[in-house]
Amino acid sequence: MPKVKTNRVKYPEGWELIEPTLRELQAKMREAENDPHDGKRKCETLWPIFKIAHQKSRYIFDLYYRRQEISKELYEFCLDQGYADRNLIAKWKKPGYERLCCLRCMQPRDHNFATTCVCRVPKHLREEKVIECVHCGCRGCVSGD
Amino acid sequence: MAHRLLRDHEADGWERSDFPIICESCLGDNPYVRMTKADYDKECKICTRPFTVFRWRPGRDARYKKTELCQTCSKLKNVCQVCLLDLEYGLPVQVRDTALSINSNDTIPKSDVNREYFAEEHDRRARAGLDYESSYGKVRPNDTILKLQRTTPYYKRNRAHICSFYVRGECTRGAECPYRHEMPETGELSQQNIKDRYYGVNDPVALKLLNKAGEMPSLEAPEDESIKTLYVGGLDKRVTEQDLRDNFYAHGEIESIKMVLDKACAFVTYTTREGAEKAAEELSNKLVIKGLRLKLMWGKPQAPRPESETSEGARQQAAVAHSGMLPRAVISQQQNQFQPSGPGVQDQAPPMQYFNIPPPPQLDRAFYPSMDPQRMGALVPSHDGENKSGSEKHQGMPPAPGQYPHQHYPPYGYMQPMPPYQLYPPYHSAMPPPQMSSQHYQHSGPLRPPPLVSAPLTSAPPASTSSGSAPAVPGPSAASESSHQ
Repeated sequence: MPKVKTNRVKYPEGWELIEPTLRELQAKMREAENDPHDGKRKCETLWPIFKIAHQKSRYIFDLYYRRQEISKELYEFCLDQGYADRNLIAKWKKPGYERLCCLRCMQPRDHNFATTCVCRVPKHLREEKVIECVHCGCRGCVSGD
Repeated sequence: MAHRLLRDHEADGWERSDFPIICESCLGDNPYVRMTKADYDKECKICTRPFTVFRWRPGRDARYKKTELCQTCSKLKNVCQVCLLDLEYGLPVQVRDTALSINSNDTIPKSDVNREYFAEEHDRRARAGLDYESSYGKVRPNDTILKLQRTTPYYKRNRAHICSFYVRGECTRGAECPYRHEMPETGELSQQNIKDRYYGVNDPVALKLLNKAGEMPSLEAPEDESIKTLYVGGLDKRVTEQDLRDNFYAHGEIESIKMVLDKACAFVTYTTREGAEKAAEELSNKLVIKGLRLKLMWGKPQAPRPESETSEGARQQAAVAHSGMLPRAVISQQQNQFQPSGPGVQDQAPPMQYFNIPPPPQLDRAFYPSMDPQRMGALVPSHDGENKSGSEKHQGMPPAPGQYPHQHYPPYGYMQPMPPYQLYPPYHSAMPPPQMSSQHYQHSGPLRPPPLVSAPLTSAPPASTSSGSAPAVPGPSAASESSHQ
């Protein structure tokens, strides 16, 4: 039999420092996935998923870009393994999108009249002050406020 | 492989349109409207055929509205696709049909295949350009419908629906809940059915409206027989004197028409009392000029004013003169007779002949604030900085305060004259119709006669507490006026 190559994950150095938080976040995500839908609106059931995904990506993004506590290798490793969303982080690097909640909210193709979600509108330009966007339950992800 | 459409739309004859047939209220107050168009999105609520659904938001505080009926159905009854009210009058189908005696109910089948067939036939003929009989264009509007029609758009219809969770006490959305947190209105009117409303059968709103139409109060003539003047309120700059003349000449010979644009009102005086009465009767609830519904009422009667010693000048300027019909310019001219300085006082061209006429009979009360210069902000020695009158006629006043003996004011409970604009709201917004028989605008000038029977809301607050007719005083008036006792 030819040698079967298995893909075994080789964790880079520094992994032990971030592993507990990441595991915790993953557990939270599993919990959100298994939550019953009672008492929630149909769109509302998905909000925790988006929230936790944002949290995970945020953690890794902060560690690498803001606090610079992990190496590039470890950062890339996390992205490859799916602990963070590469595309979302790509947006966070752009001005104006530093706090973007999710990728759907800024995609004009997903909205009527080619606009963005209401959570991308600054509070002083909005009429309703308290909103929860329908995609991810975001209350406002504008960089300004 | 070639794509095959699931349905061949053309063959089925489903309806497509470019723009909805909707009324002004449903379209909203915003001139910028973004509307989505979805072909064959929903079925018509009446004929259940697929049609093009338009969806838009009629204004900032409105919910999203979408067309509920197809255009064929709405054209058959000449109603708005969304609210099912008549396009011209804004009335329910039943009201319009009874008022105009149209009866098309027999021709439109109501059930099942019959209905669909009829609708499709109609649609086909309309698209082919055949002129089907549309009786709505040919009907002449009659009195009743003019009385009942809606002249301004009604945007309250576009508010969000009531939050049903809130009604049960369970709304967890809190501040971000887009639905209204109010208790729903209960009662007969809330059981409405779209089919009933469309066919004009058994519609509670229509029944209520028809009942109301039967009992609409007519303008009673005032007891004082000498009054030949009608007050017309709710004017706008679009309405000209010629419009008023056109409307009023039919009932009698018009002696004069005076427009007081500042107050958005006008006074039409007839030469005969009968003419005035006839006009009142004919036009009482139906006066609509250029789309603006105007309020018609009798002019204020004269009543003796219990003034003690007042100098002629002060009396005159306090007095309104001539059944209260003199333009302000004339009054100011009379004032100027006693005051040498009166620069540029006229804001209207005064009829010169009034100067030679002996002073008009004194009235104890000025009917409208514009008639009393002190109300307009004329300076009185004790009131400094009261030059806030917008009317330039009073600029002549301040330099010569001596003309107005101070002692006039206390007996009449004179209050600080308010800036004219604050006075206006009481006069125009609070108008309880049923009481408007004779004296409407109570005027709280320096003359405080025993309280008249008058619309309480419209009085600027009188200082004398004995005057019982000053409830519901509007805020600004109450706040800024004080008695000078």
